[in-house]
Amino acid sequence: MEDFDAAIIGGGTAGLAALKQLANLGRQAVLIEAGKDTGTKNVSGGILYSKKPRHGKVFNAEDVFGSSFLAEAPYERKITKYILHATSGNKDYSIDLTRAHEYQSNYGCSVLLNKLISWLSVVAEESAQKFGGGIVSGVHVRSVKPEAAAEGSRMIIETDELEPFRCKAVIAADGVNSETAVMTGAREKFSQTELYQGVKVIVKMPEQIIEERFGIGPEEGAAHLFAGDVTLNHIGGGFVYTNRSTLSVGAVYHMDSLMENPAQPSALVDALIRNPVVSELLRDEVPVKSEVDKDLPKEEQLRTRFAVSKMVKNWTELRDAYYSPTGSQKMIESGKYKTREELKARLDSIRSDLESKYSTKFVSDYVELEYSAKLVPDGKRCMMKKPYHDNVLFIGDAAGRGVFIGPRIEGLNVGIDDAVRAANAISRALDRNDFGKSMGEHYSQSIEESPFTHDMREIDKDYLKIFLEATRGVPKDIVGQRYGMIFRLMSSSTLRGLAVGLANILGYDRLLPLVESVDTYVQVPMEIAEKMGRSVDATYQPTIPSLADRIARLSYDDDRKSHILVTDPQSEFIKKMVVLCPTACYSQEPDGKVTLQHEACVECGTCSKGTEWHHPRGEKGVIYQYG
Amino acid sequence: MDPLKFGVLVKLEPDFSEGNVSYNADGTLNRAETKSILGPHSAVACSAAFYGKVKFGAKVMVGTMGPPIADSALQQAQMICDADELHLYSDRLFAGADTLATAEVLKTGVEKATIGKADIVFSGHRASDGETGQTGPQTAWKLGYSFLGNVIDYDLDPEKRLIRAKRLISLQGFHDVIEEVESPLPAFLALDPSYKPFFHKVSERLAEQKYLKEARERARDYKKYLTVFNVQQLGVDPKKVGLPGSPTIVYKVEKIPKAMASRKAQVIDGSDAASIRGVAEKIYQVLGGDVK
Ligand SMILES: Cc1cc2nc3c(=O)[nH]c(=O)nc-3n(C[C@H](O)[C@H](O)[C@H](O)COP(=O)(O)OP(=O)(O)OC[C@H]3O[C@@H](n4cnc5c(N)ncnc54)[C@H](O)[C@@H]3O)c2cc1C
Ligand code: SF4
Repeated sequence: MEDFDAAIIGGGTAGLAALKQLANLGRQAVLIEAGKDTGTKNVSGGILYSKKPRHGKVFNAEDVFGSSFLAEAPYERKITKYILHATSGNKDYSIDLTRAHEYQSNYGCSVLLNKLISWLSVVAEESAQKFGGGIVSGVHVRSVKPEAAAEGSRMIIETDELEPFRCKAVIAADGVNSETAVMTGAREKFSQTELYQGVKVIVKMPEQIIEERFGIGPEEGAAHLFAGDVTLNHIGGGFVYTNRSTLSVGAVYHMDSLMENPAQPSALVDALIRNPVVSELLRDEVPVKSEVDKDLPKEEQLRTRFAVSKMVKNWTELRDAYYSPTGSQKMIESGKYKTREELKARLDSIRSDLESKYSTKFVSDYVELEYSAKLVPDGKRCMMKKPYHDNVLFIGDAAGRGVFIGPRIEGLNVGIDDAVRAANAISRALDRNDFGKSMGEHYSQSIEESPFTHDMREIDKDYLKIFLEATRGVPKDIVGQRYGMIFRLMSSSTLRGLAVGLANILGYDRLLPLVESVDTYVQVPMEIAEKMGRSVDATYQPTIPSLADRIARLSYDDDRKSHILVTDPQSEFIKKMVVLCPTACYSQEPDGKVTLQHEACVECGTCSKGTEWHHPRGEKGVIYQYG
Repeated sequence: MDPLKFGVLVKLEPDFSEGNVSYNADGTLNRAETKSILGPHSAVACSAAFYGKVKFGAKVMVGTMGPPIADSALQQAQMICDADELHLYSDRLFAGADTLATAEVLKTGVEKATIGKADIVFSGHRASDGETGQTGPQTAWKLGYSFLGNVIDYDLDPEKRLIRAKRLISLQGFHDVIEEVESPLPAFLALDPSYKPFFHKVSERLAEQKYLKEARERARDYKKYLTVFNVQQLGVDPKKVGLPGSPTIVYKVEKIPKAMASRKAQVIDGSDAASIRGVAEKIYQVLGGDVK
């Protein structure tokens, strides 16, 4: 059997940071990823933060991937504007939370995981190869167990594709639906109370139109968050983040509230898109082909269809280039056009041909590129108390770690911080040849010291202060009548410290049901919007793709064998999946039994708790292009 | 132990994939307009050599006979198998070669490799542009190597200098048979088109990544690895190559007449629900109403 020093399961941001950090420490490590290529299975909102807490130290991406991270990594935009919207019907009240977003931050930038992870992989792999390690993708780990006591204390890893191998230490970075956690017995699957469900669509929009629409500069970005009636009465909210030439539009809702009041995830995104503030942000110009005259000869009909499709494609590509400085530059350098004006003239001429010769109309609408879904572990409720088992250390989503407090959403950076701590603990254990409990305890201790752990446990009164100051304009009675005493205490600068102290003694367990409620996420924002909001009128009706169209646009490598086994097709849980599966893989038969067709599964994990659930075999399943 | 040495023989061929082929008015191939690529069977041969490179650290030479632009096939081949050495056998005197004359050039080329005498030579099953699958066996014969055709899998014992290969044998009117054969090295392997390398060990997967990266880097700079040989540099007897070296006599080329379509196709425009319904009903009828 082959032997390695360390193995990492899962090539998301956390796993790759662990691989790079182990290489930084001169250690041999292999990373095993189920997706055909790294970055094809991962989804985020997402804003990647780099933090500088006042107390304690965290490890950021640049601490692992080098100080040139920001200069070289393919992030989208540095977020410089952070706005929270309270919505009700066409009423919108916005609160500027840029200061809260900047709280103890070096930066926060929007990222698309497929692109970012590809880059992280190249950098991490290059370093890892120097020490006999690297990345093995397209391989699904199916078992992690200690070897027989007589042979030593190494771990044996079995996969669906390769011969088993052995290693001294393992980092489980296999995400929120960690099979490693379940098969080692380190923890149970997360319960619905501990999870949020996230759904997202990527919307296409040319670079300079984004800047104009969102009022930002070429290197800047904006984040808009939404609460109120867009949530369709669920705990959580929506978001619109600007990428370089796309937008990430999504919704994250607490699983408990979804179980109580099931709603099709794609319908939740639709509700967000239909809100006039959001639809106006997404508005773009879209060509609509006219029906081809059926009386024309068949060949002529085909020719026309072909010609129109080709012209629309040309128009779209030219337009993207025209509205992007680098795109225009490339076109000019290629010698096709001499100036930007010439490019514009060509664009206008294709457009006028399309309009006059082929009756194509140019209307206000938006264009979706990719639909995705994934669960988010709520660190406050589910971070692992003991994030290790045997020689396995758990990091990132697999350890249930992430700071999700109101508008503060941080999972990517928390996973990177965990990764460094786990890699350091393994390196130390390799030096001492002392694994198991000693390594685990050392890692646990390091995690305890992480400021993120503190944030997952206690309210940060300074952050709260900034948040409350931002909401100063909101009349006290709207909030006060619901939260009475707490709110008055928290709002008073002299009593806030005491109030936070008291709240922290109560602990999140008792506080959360009070604060994370339909009142907070739906009723209060609606009341604020109705009383104080401005009216926003929609200038168009977005043509929202059906769920079937969204699924049809996704890429899959189908596995004939299902990776999910429904054990109780009559359970109440599984009946709810008929509505809650983001790609409608479940349907109910007339006899009441629920059946699963796994082919469209996007591996979000929503149905995991009530099924025998595995990730698909290596290379199989969904392949995200954006993530 | 010295590393194993492989030779791979490849061919630049017209790209027959959809949209890339161009025809003359009389229906013959328009070679000037059709893009050329590394032939698909040659690519299979490259991946078989790559398998051995990853598993046994073999050194690889890829050779081709063709016009100067055939070096693009070598570049593509290098991208697949991370070749250490590239040969282009190119001379006007090679023109008009049949399979035997081609085999003479390839055999001499293989023997010229600076990495050393090849332990295994790989070739594709055949070329896609009108070739009979004879070049491989004839080159093997000229080299004096054992010839194993239709290979779908192989493994080596470098110490004992043995190769064990699986061959796919298709028999008319009978199901396919997989034959397992063993042969001493050196050997000549012609790969079955279904050959696909698979690495079962973590260390092999890591090596695969490393070599693939090296291959991409080398291929970017492929001219550094390339030697072009003419008749003199190769040192072949001009009487044994090109037209003079080709005993095959092409008496006449017959165009295969286009067969009459025996089925009548109806083009249906699927842009409205009614015509789609029509299709569904037709299928229903054909299936004799067995399905709902
Ligand atoms: C809609 C949404 C919005 C979010 N917004 C933000 C945000 O704005 N900011 C932020 O910081 N965070 C955000 N998050 C959270 C953040 O995306 C996650 O915390 C982060 O991506 C988790 O990274 P990870 O490496 O721990 O896990 P993952 O990215 O899930 O990676 C796990 C990897 O393991 C692989 N794997 C799993 N099982 C196996 C196996 N058995 N064998 C081999 N490979 C396996 C998977 O294929 C996958 O690649 C958001 C999440 C969602 C869903
Ligand atoms: S089948 Fe389960 S894991 Fe797959 S998309 Fe549906 S809910 Fe998610």
